[in-house]
Amino acid sequence: MNAIFAVVFFVSAVLFLFTNPNGFLSAMLSGGEKAATLSLSLLAVYCVWLGFFKVMEQSGLSGKLAGCVYPLAKRVFRSDDKEGVYLASCNLSANILGLPGAPTPLGVKAVKRFTDAGNHYGADMLFVLNATSLQLLPTTVIALRLAAGSTAAADIFLPTLISTLFSTLLGAILVYLTRSRK
Amino acid sequence: MKYVALIIPVLFLALFAYALFKKVKLYDCFTAGIKEAAPLVLSLFPYLAAILILSELFEQSGLSGYLTAFLSPAFRVLGIPPEISKLVLLKPFSGSGSTALLSEILAEYGADSYIARCACVAYGSSETVFYILAVYFAGIGKRRIRPVVISLFAGFASVILGCFLCRFL
Repeated sequence: MNAIFAVVFFVSAVLFLFTNPNGFLSAMLSGGEKAATLSLSLLAVYCVWLGFFKVMEQSGLSGKLAGCVYPLAKRVFRSDDKEGVYLASCNLSANILGLPGAPTPLGVKAVKRFTDAGNHYGADMLFVLNATSLQLLPTTVIALRLAAGSTAAADIFLPTLISTLFSTLLGAILVYLTRSRK
Repeated sequence: MKYVALIIPVLFLALFAYALFKKVKLYDCFTAGIKEAAPLVLSLFPYLAAILILSELFEQSGLSGYLTAFLSPAFRVLGIPPEISKLVLLKPFSGSGSTALLSEILAEYGADSYIARCACVAYGSSETVFYILAVYFAGIGKRRIRPVVISLFAGFASVILGCFLCRFL
């Protein structure tokens, strides 16, 4: 990440130097501004979902669900940490359902638990599953197409589903194949 | 599509009813959950800010434009229409940027055109990888590069497949 940051930063900065020196600082500031607004909206989303998940935890529902998915999910993430595996499975279900914002706090906690326990394989797997998009219904796309006057807004459903399943599967296989053997 | 909107309210209602049945103190419990929100956001903030500043530089310096122009011929060979190559490149960096770009493409080429459909599939089948990287791996000492490369590669492969599928699906 440090290398990517350095390369992109230097090339962009040099381009700015030659083409538009005034734009440099304003571009960086607008990035910072986006970070600030994004953090605020993340905060809003976390308030709702972390509250929701706490209620789920205290009502004992989490524990029951965790017991159901644990046998399968512990193999996917190669982890014996019941809590971490449960968080990761909840993250995946929230992703598939496309619940806006819900997957993030779960995923962050799960990745942290896996990494703290030295299980980089589990953390990588969860990251790749998230980063290859699992959503079943591309709601944003369908809404945008409707707005643009499409006559069959949902007809991209099938190709999107096939290619997103393909990318998720390919990602998972690659994580499995490139895992470090101890 | 109508029933999809029911998922979230029903989810909340069912859970809260179950919690009441289990004699959970709803207010105390809900606030206890929210207590974790601010520290979580604060711990993510530095990484989020650095990544967003970088992607803004990438976009506004014209670097993404040059890269698009450079890669378009290669994209054409792989069956990706050059009109959407900018979207393919932007998507891993910026969710809001690629959403804006997608609606521009829809407006320009017509929502039901082949190009627009390819753009929709490309948008829907990939994720903002660098954003997820910033959030999920925030605060983890050792940066992980392998899962990022895998995700980008898998996402790109799915765009090729998606554009191919759009020809006859």
